[in-house]
Amino acid sequence: MVGTPYPKKPMHRIAYAQLTKEQIAAKLHPVAERGPTSASTFATDFAGESLRIVTDDGPELTYKFASSTRLSVAENGGKATHAGFGALETDNICLFSHMIPGTQRGYTVVVDRRSKLATVIEVWFSGYEDNREVQRQIYFGHVDSGGDVPKKRHDYTDRLEGRGYHWRQDTGMETLEYYPSAGYSHFVELSRTGGELGFSAPSDYVLLDNDFCLYTRTECEFSGTFTAYVIDMNRTQQMGVRLGFDDGDDLHYYLFRGHGDIVGQIAHFEKFGDDSGNPIPGPNGKDGKPVKGGRRVYRPIKTMEKLSREQVAQIVKQHSTAFPPSTTTGGAAGMGSVNALPASDFLAGKAFTLRYDHGPAMEYKVDSADELNWRTDGEGAWTKARYQAYEVAPGLLLFGHLLEGAPNHDGHIIAADFHQGLVTCYNGFLNTSYFANEAGARTLFGVLEMDGIQPPMYRRHARTTEMLGRCITYSYAPGLTSMHLYSTPNTVSWIIFTPDGHGGMEWSGPGDFVKIRDGIYFMNWREEACNGTLGTVLLNLNIMHDAGIGYHCGARGGLNMSRIGAVVRHAGKFEVDRYFQIRT
Amino acid sequence: MTKDKIDTRRSFLRGGALLAAPIAAAAVPVTALADDELKTRVKRLEDEAAIRELHRSWLRQVNAGERGALLQEAVRAINADHAGAPDKIEFGADGRTARGHFDCAVELDIPLATECTLAQMAHAQGHGSIRRTERRVLRVDYENAGGIWKIAGVALRTL
Repeated sequence: MVGTPYPKKPMHRIAYAQLTKEQIAAKLHPVAERGPTSASTFATDFAGESLRIVTDDGPELTYKFASSTRLSVAENGGKATHAGFGALETDNICLFSHMIPGTQRGYTVVVDRRSKLATVIEVWFSGYEDNREVQRQIYFGHVDSGGDVPKKRHDYTDRLEGRGYHWRQDTGMETLEYYPSAGYSHFVELSRTGGELGFSAPSDYVLLDNDFCLYTRTECEFSGTFTAYVIDMNRTQQMGVRLGFDDGDDLHYYLFRGHGDIVGQIAHFEKFGDDSGNPIPGPNGKDGKPVKGGRRVYRPIKTMEKLSREQVAQIVKQHSTAFPPSTTTGGAAGMGSVNALPASDFLAGKAFTLRYDHGPAMEYKVDSADELNWRTDGEGAWTKARYQAYEVAPGLLLFGHLLEGAPNHDGHIIAADFHQGLVTCYNGFLNTSYFANEAGARTLFGVLEMDGIQPPMYRRHARTTEMLGRCITYSYAPGLTSMHLYSTPNTVSWIIFTPDGHGGMEWSGPGDFVKIRDGIYFMNWREEACNGTLGTVLLNLNIMHDAGIGYHCGARGGLNMSRIGAVVRHAGKFEVDRYFQIRT
Repeated sequence: MTKDKIDTRRSFLRGGALLAAPIAAAAVPVTALADDELKTRVKRLEDEAAIRELHRSWLRQVNAGERGALLQEAVRAINADHAGAPDKIEFGADGRTARGHFDCAVELDIPLATECTLAQMAHAQGHGSIRRTERRVLRVDYENAGGIWKIAGVALRTL
């Protein structure tokens, strides 16, 4: 029987084993002796060659290549060590990689034979509290062949920022890779995981020359696997290395070639002329110098507050808040609401029913601009609730309220179209499988029944892929802008910017996308294993503004429903629809 | 040539241009000025010059990051607002207190509350604050104790 392409658990749900140094050493030793494997043929013209590489603030490496798979390396004039290696070449660029037997370190070296410039990536295990996470340090330098020392160097760049590729490796691995940041990247494994979700990872981008770039990523917070490859930007080809332990703790160390397609190029937001890279440099040590291998990594799985069902129940009982009063009067409850649309009194005085297919019939009697009464399925007593509504387009309202007394502390966030009699609800709830304070969401479609409104019988709002591949910037307040990348039909990724406009840190979660009207989309994202928030936006591309509501539970703020909103820009669209078609 | 120079200096004093002459006015011997009103004016000018020097010195400290307890932590720098109103120093009736009004451009560095994921990410990448420049009026209260002017209080007000 042919299996489905989907994994049992997405990456952010896998409890990767905490490997000990000894476990890593045991698995690494034979691999370091042997060198990387490759489905493509290794370059053979290294055999018999010698190479001395001098880096600016790093090691001097003296290589002797005995064959196309064996070398010796001396670091800083020290004793030579023999190791297995592999090399790949494209035009004047060659990449070779080896570990150093007896250690948990190794090097991947990229040399430009024409310019004599070199970039050296030192990699090692057991350098972080999670030993399996590969650490890296990049050094720039040159090949010392006895002549003049070249003045130029390879350097970090933002020139790849905004690019997206579809890659197909010689291993059969097929990915979509987005570079919406100059310090992070986002990847979708189409072949290995069915492309359901995309994930984000810290990355380096190095400009080798106008034709070639070097890219790296480390799958921090996940398996810790390191990938680096040279991109031939004209031919849309890649050659690189992958090193790390998979979810079964098997060690992978191989070189690969791949070919691909450019799936798009979105805008980026540095000042014209600013091609600088490495926008979020690592921390400095006590001596004021950068820490070797140091990098700033967003680690939400590690830092997320994790609560039990009992703790959540207690917190909700003690502190549940929907739309603090200041937001109703237009004040700023938080940075996320400075640019929000004003609250609307459109619903005040109205009585209506939202009848969801395969869901409840929610009856409403709205007292005022911030207070409503609800009951379910025409039964029981009315419950008073605080709410807030925003008229995103004429007759189209986003509103939300908590459902006090619901066993899973539900909240309803609703896009209600009073011109069409249609409604979609993101029903947020807690007590989910992994962490009780992590929000889940059901998507409910239905109709709006009210005196004077005849809803349709068959028509409904519907899920859409029209947002797939789009990048939208959301400016919530001065200095607080993020960009959404809708990387798969089920993923929302978000990127924040540095003060000078570089794309910075990035993370992602599962999402949902519903078309409400032409140019108006109701979307959600769940910050799974990352704060646990359910974020929703009703985005109106006709006015380039959204209204949004967040639903979150935490020990400090309790159960909370709050307003978010932003002025938006369309940064561009990656054409990736064809990679998500299900074909027979 | 020498005569011309002396004449120029005298006419400068007579014309009341002392208002524009800061600390140099203190060099004029008060005993040489018989008129009480003139004495008072010179004293006022000396005080004003001392306050202006105190203000400049304080601004240097603020802009060097030595903010002390007199300003909110968010202020990173204060620069003169050349498009604003002229600086104004008002003295109390007893001459021992004064209040300065200075239009300025204030560089603020406001920490992002870690209330949401985006703010947490901004902190994680080392950019956990929003820096912006706002036009403000700096109001400084001074008091004279033992002949020395000191800053008694500082307030920044929005225009």
